Amino acid sequence: MRVPLERKVLNENDRVAAGLRERFARNRTFCLNLISSPGSGKTALLERTLEGFRPARRIAVLTGDIQTDNDARRLARYGFPVRQITTGGACHLDARMVERGLEGWPEDCEILFLENVGNLVCPTSYDLGESARAVVLSVTEGEDKPLKYPATFHHADLMVLNKIDLLPYVPFQAPLACENARRVQPEIEIVEVSCTTGQGLDQWRAWLEAHL
Amino acid sequence: MSIAAAVLEAVRAESVLHGGAHVSCAGLRIGELSGVEPESLRFCLETLVTGDPLDPLAFDLEIRPWTRRCRDCGAEFRVVDYNPACALCRSANTEAAGGDEMELSYLELEEPGCASPLNEKS
Repeated sequence: MRVPLERKVLNENDRVAAGLRERFARNRTFCLNLISSPGSGKTALLERTLEGFRPARRIAVLTGDIQTDNDARRLARYGFPVRQITTGGACHLDARMVERGLEGWPEDCEILFLENVGNLVCPTSYDLGESARAVVLSVTEGEDKPLKYPATFHHADLMVLNKIDLLPYVPFQAPLACENARRVQPEIEIVEVSCTTGQGLDQWRAWLEAHL
Repeated sequence: MSIAAAVLEAVRAESVLHGGAHVSCAGLRIGELSGVEPESLRFCLETLVTGDPLDPLAFDLEIRPWTRRCRDCGAEFRVVDYNPACALCRSANTEAAGGDEMELSYLELEEPGCASPLNEKS
């Protein structure tokens, strides 16, 4: 006997994510899910971002890694609440981990950054209740990453092209990378930054502030 | 692997809703943009189900295409070679339509009391 169904495989994750999304909307929190390959510079981008905020701003970070709390220790230096989520093997964050990570924190946060585990595949499938999704691509990778990982770029609102100070030293063609991202996601916004020289960070901050 | 575990969890939950009948086959709908590689998923499912109370359980994976909808002519079309423009009228004014699916689409249940042979399906 065949029983037709319309059940989402990740419906339990989606249920928790919907609760988080409702909570973020109620508290006017802009929650950004940051996804990239390992080593694209998510943590460096967050360091420069936190450095630029006045201490009175209500900013918080949950940072996910398979092991170690190195990233949380790097980010805690800027005086904003930071918590490490150590997934213990899982290659992505899920909504339940975020819910647990937020336990005991004040709810009136303006911006909550969710630094996902470095991985361009699995984080794509897990809704974390975020307000927007940003994918970080660095110029030491290939311009065709958006074509190789279309699901990830297709679900992103913003692409941060990072390490642009290295462009003179690598064969990476930034216009081609942007064109590839737009083929996969015609509405994607793009900012080009260098966390070393600070170039483009004003645009990135303006993008964040525009979403508050 | 955690997606495969979620699939088995969903099959268990649906099986309970249907009176605990043994499920011989689970139909899954996987979109090209779901972030899931169907053959890897199949491997993980078959690994996890071995020795599980759900065993024997076959999986029928249906791949759903990446589609967009044209805001001008209304056509829904398959995206080929990453081209987001409308396949009918060539308009660039299109929006995402499908390809995100990761769903349990059906269960094949064994009738109670029916001595069914082991599954043969895919």
